[in-house]
Amino acid sequence: MFPGSAGSSFRPLLRTGNRFDRDAADRPVVVFEDVYKAFRSDSPVLRGFSLTIERGEFVFVTGPSGSGKSTVLKLLYAAENVDQGRILFLGREIGRLGAASIPYLRRNIGVVFQDFKLVDNWTVSENIALPLEVLGLPERLIQRRVGETLERVGLSGRGRDKALALSGGERQRVSVARAIVAEPAMILADEPTGNLDPQLAVDILGLFEDIHATGVTVLFATHDRSLLDIRPRRVIVLDEGRAFDVPKGLEPAAEGAA
Amino acid sequence: MTTFDRALRGIRSDLRAHLLSVFSVGVAFVCLVATLLVVVNVSKVQDRWQSIGRLSVYLRPGTDEKQVTELETALRGTTGIQKVRYLSSESARRELLREDSDEILSGLPEQAFPASLEVETTEPATAERRQRLVTQLGTLPAVESIEGYENYGKKLSSALVSGVSAALVLAFVVLLAVISVVSSTMRLSLQRRRLEIEVLRLVGATDDYVRRPFLVEGLAQGALGALFAIFLVGVLYLLLHGTVFEQFSLLLGVSPSFLPLSLCLGLILSGGCMGIFAAYISLRKILLA
Repeated sequence: MFPGSAGSSFRPLLRTGNRFDRDAADRPVVVFEDVYKAFRSDSPVLRGFSLTIERGEFVFVTGPSGSGKSTVLKLLYAAENVDQGRILFLGREIGRLGAASIPYLRRNIGVVFQDFKLVDNWTVSENIALPLEVLGLPERLIQRRVGETLERVGLSGRGRDKALALSGGERQRVSVARAIVAEPAMILADEPTGNLDPQLAVDILGLFEDIHATGVTVLFATHDRSLLDIRPRRVIVLDEGRAFDVPKGLEPAAEGAA
Repeated sequence: MTTFDRALRGIRSDLRAHLLSVFSVGVAFVCLVATLLVVVNVSKVQDRWQSIGRLSVYLRPGTDEKQVTELETALRGTTGIQKVRYLSSESARRELLREDSDEILSGLPEQAFPASLEVETTEPATAERRQRLVTQLGTLPAVESIEGYENYGKKLSSALVSGVSAALVLAFVVLLAVISVVSSTMRLSLQRRRLEIEVLRLVGATDDYVRRPFLVEGLAQGALGALFAIFLVGVLYLLLHGTVFEQFSLLLGVSPSFLPLSLCLGLILSGGCMGIFAAYISLRKILLA
């Protein structure tokens, strides 16, 4: 069990101070309500996109390149704003958060990218410790948590290595470790296996499943159909800017199919 | 990891750019430090000249030794007069030619150099008191004219005002130079550490948290640049101390001195503040993006 990350121990950090909102525990983690988003006026990416993700769910978001998978995630961690509609995270509307509140939203969300986004000249530990340093935790606690997280992602003893010296799979593990070290309510994975070979991709997916088993909600964006076949999970298929929900997962692809 | 540790990590990762920045800021500060050094010493000369008032009482040709002695005794007995020295025509000529061996001057006859009594007063002479003394001395039959050196004081005051004005202008130029240098370094640093900033913001760092180590780096560049300039001017000062300053001291009766510690600390602090300001305005654009 990942320390302190059981569903009941999660405390939303959106609000500062000690005002713990008990009702937040019963609300869906994420609600998209009729969301529209366009980067070019003639080709909107999301057109009336609606989706509800309950606490502790593991959801795949899939669709062809350019279908808006990354946009959905970016809207969630407030890197982009909706044009229309609203997104609720733990009952709070993201679009109405002020600039000063966005960092506190992001402290509740761990994000893993295809290109890892590791600072190469830092050590593995320094990269992983970053979210905890931002939270202002004491150095000893940070060291302990980083050590535990390294163990969790199978990189025990690699803390002093430079990020640059790691293989692709290891770099992605560090990226996952950084996303989970602060025990966020939700993990967003934006094509995390896109740069990895099939075996490593399966390993990384296994890592996300382990994390999910501790009660963390996971939203995993991928266009890799083979990953969806490994275990039946809820799949959101993005097509023409709308979400098509497949609660029990897609039908396994036929033998030899792409 | 404290802000200081994070700043140190940033400096280490981009050491060369930071050192170049410190050097450039230092070069900008050298002009200011040198000007302030001149201002401090001119001010010292002025203080000295004000604290020991000086008068040259020129005697009429043909004044005999008895009259000179009487006058000398009378002056010594006057309150506030510290020192009286008789300078004969011959001595005056000799002293002038020792200081300036000009051919025209050396061709002048002894009569061209009137005998005088060089008077030094003990306390800062007020203009009123000086004037009274000059008036009293002027009534004596042996006295031809009196030089009060007020013009020299005025010239020094004027030089001091000019020096302070020049220092202010240079301070402004230095401010612009520091802003330009530190901003350029910051922009380079921000460019190189773009990913670090992106990740910091992704994991929930506030703008203030992102900004702080960069401000410390700006402070370090400004303060170290000022310190470097003080060190450089200090080294030059020590090199000149033995020879040039000895002449300076003989000529003006004041030994030159280096900038007081408080002024040095003020310069370092100003450098630091300018560095912070430059870093802040460079970061503003990035953080607003």
